[in-house]
Amino acid sequence: MTDTDTGTIGLGVTVTKAGEQGAFGGELLTINFGPHHPSTHGVLRLIVDLDGEQVKRLKPIIGYLHTGIEKQAEALRWQQVVVVTDRHDYLSPPINNLAYALAVEKLLGVDVPPRADALRVIMSELTRIASHLVWLGTSGIELGASTMLMYCFRERDTILDMNEEISGFRMHTSYIRPGGVMADATPRFLEMLDSFCTKMPGNIDEYEALLTMNPIFRSRTIGIGRLPAEDAKVLGATGPMLRGSGVAWDLRKKMPYSGYENYDFEVATSDMCDCYGRYLVRIKEMREAVRILRQALDRLPDGPVNVDDRKVLPPPREELETSMEAVIHHFKLFTEGYSVPAGDAYAAVESGRGENGCYVVSDGTHKPRRVKFRAASFVNLQPLERMALNHMVADMVAIIGTADTVLGDVDR
Amino acid sequence: MGVEALAESLGQNILTTTLGKLIGWGRGNSVWPLQFGLACCAIEMIHTATASVDIARFGSEAMRASPRQADMMIVSGRVSQKMAPILRTIYDQMPEPKWVISMGACASTGGVFNNYALLQGVDKIVPVDVYIPGCPPRPEDLLNALMILQERIKAQGITPRS
Amino acid sequence: MIADSLIVERGVSAGDAWITVSPESAHEALAALKGEGYRLLVFLTCVDHLADSSRKWPARYEVVYQLRNMETLEQLRVRAFIDGDPPHIDSVADVFPPADWDERETYDMFGVVFEGHPDLTRILMPDDWVGHPLRRDYPVGGEPVEFSEEHETWQTAPPKA
Repeated sequence: MTDTDTGTIGLGVTVTKAGEQGAFGGELLTINFGPHHPSTHGVLRLIVDLDGEQVKRLKPIIGYLHTGIEKQAEALRWQQVVVVTDRHDYLSPPINNLAYALAVEKLLGVDVPPRADALRVIMSELTRIASHLVWLGTSGIELGASTMLMYCFRERDTILDMNEEISGFRMHTSYIRPGGVMADATPRFLEMLDSFCTKMPGNIDEYEALLTMNPIFRSRTIGIGRLPAEDAKVLGATGPMLRGSGVAWDLRKKMPYSGYENYDFEVATSDMCDCYGRYLVRIKEMREAVRILRQALDRLPDGPVNVDDRKVLPPPREELETSMEAVIHHFKLFTEGYSVPAGDAYAAVESGRGENGCYVVSDGTHKPRRVKFRAASFVNLQPLERMALNHMVADMVAIIGTADTVLGDVDR
Repeated sequence: MGVEALAESLGQNILTTTLGKLIGWGRGNSVWPLQFGLACCAIEMIHTATASVDIARFGSEAMRASPRQADMMIVSGRVSQKMAPILRTIYDQMPEPKWVISMGACASTGGVFNNYALLQGVDKIVPVDVYIPGCPPRPEDLLNALMILQERIKAQGITPRS
Repeated sequence: MIADSLIVERGVSAGDAWITVSPESAHEALAALKGEGYRLLVFLTCVDHLADSSRKWPARYEVVYQLRNMETLEQLRVRAFIDGDPPHIDSVADVFPPADWDERETYDMFGVVFEGHPDLTRILMPDDWVGHPLRRDYPVGGEPVEFSEEHETWQTAPPKA
């Protein structure tokens, strides 16, 4: 199939080239799931060849949200890059921050204190739940269950209120930074977290009551979008796409970071390999995330939340009144910024979608030479053709939804 | 006597107004947005449609996906070079009268990203009526913008836009 | 470990093990590593070392492959240095399917031509875009911002990056 149609907008239907025969003797029909579509979870364009109602070929065209984040990061100082890391996988900003912070800390050779690790885990798990809630709400409404949107976003509002309490921002918190976290948890935050952990399992039960045994949902997702385990591994899928095919691969267990080895939780897998299996995996992940949050909250250690290195993090403002050295550090950090020793490092974290990583190359100056984001959604979008083959065009919505791609991450 | 009573009772049950005010009132209270969610701001736009903030109270119950059935395009998110011609085509497909709300810093001015890949403001290709700053703006900010737009629509009446 | 004849240099950077291979043997080395168990290609990208004075670089472009062994949890970074205008290297999309899109993106952003790739076209930028944005001599672009410290040099191609 030739790729000559990126100049056209093509929201209509065109008949494909002559000679391409379908099983019923007609020609294959090429349709365009244009970038502006209510159910593609963002600006994804798919060119689909249909034989009657069945999908024979599928080609995703991406790039409609390309933001030049990696180029932008080369023009910013090390501490300013945290702000743009929030915005590529915009459903899990703290997790992106964490990947970048871990990579830079590897190069700097600093270890954050335990309280910072615990707060990082808390924010990551809250974000994981928030991201799965968006997936569940939007997948629900695309399959027709519009109540799911209302219920899921109600809980998401609670999580965003907690984000706002701890960092001042609802979504793009920029909370986790190289050297620690932005600010300590307030007592009100810890209260909100406590009541959230108590109420959330009941809410997840509500969602399951709506969907898990619902015959319409089951018939639209069981057997749809099959991705066998071998194919998932060969195509490099990670996250629920891989775990929904029975492979128990979770970076938090296999290659733990930020103290995840100290928490007791299970890895959610499903042997069903289809959309329904991935739905069960994500529901279970939400429950496990609440478990981790409860443990992290109960065991939150005391202490500082930032590494005590004035070359990396600014001194507290009270010190500026008395110490000349503090003023010099403050000035240097806010004008030129710190320099990271030359070298390269890769750090990966487990986001709601899979392995989100950050590969950082430093040339010894105060700006990065290269920041590459390993995007889980970019790799998870490649099995889409394999999953959609020979399904009906009406199942496309369920299949695109189950991949849970965030186009900001795909296009960066 | 009977005529005065009739006139009196009619006076209490009939409103007089101008055609412009009536049409403005009708249009303003039933603005149907076009779902043009691009990036992070789209998630806050979805929050605006959900129960706690509820844009449906303001008449925007039907968030249409088809531009032919929508009045207002909420550009929520960053507009890349590849997406710009598509945005313009969709804007052209909307029937008059139509309005554009540019939601968020990226849609208004390019936002955090001052680089080659993004359009530095969607007003380079479509005329914008209300800009909402923020990254992303709160759902209440979108409601505020909608209310400002409603005032403007009601004031416009039947005067065609220039 | 793969044959030492393929490895030009090896080392450890910030806890990550890496090896350097010559660009002609990159495909062979990666296929051999896959045979040894490094079956997951985590990412593939390129780094542009134009005007980088932190050390002596063998060539301007460095193609980086990060491999992982999912059973032993070992990671390995494979590097190949290439030069040229445009630089060429063999594609590994036949060995690692996830490399398909990664190589298209590297071609789009850096101009590296991957020989043998099934469909090497632009993936993120529009098809008729001129230039390769992530090269260091391509300006950041956007609008000039007054009073920013780099506002004159930022919007033009920096001579010394």
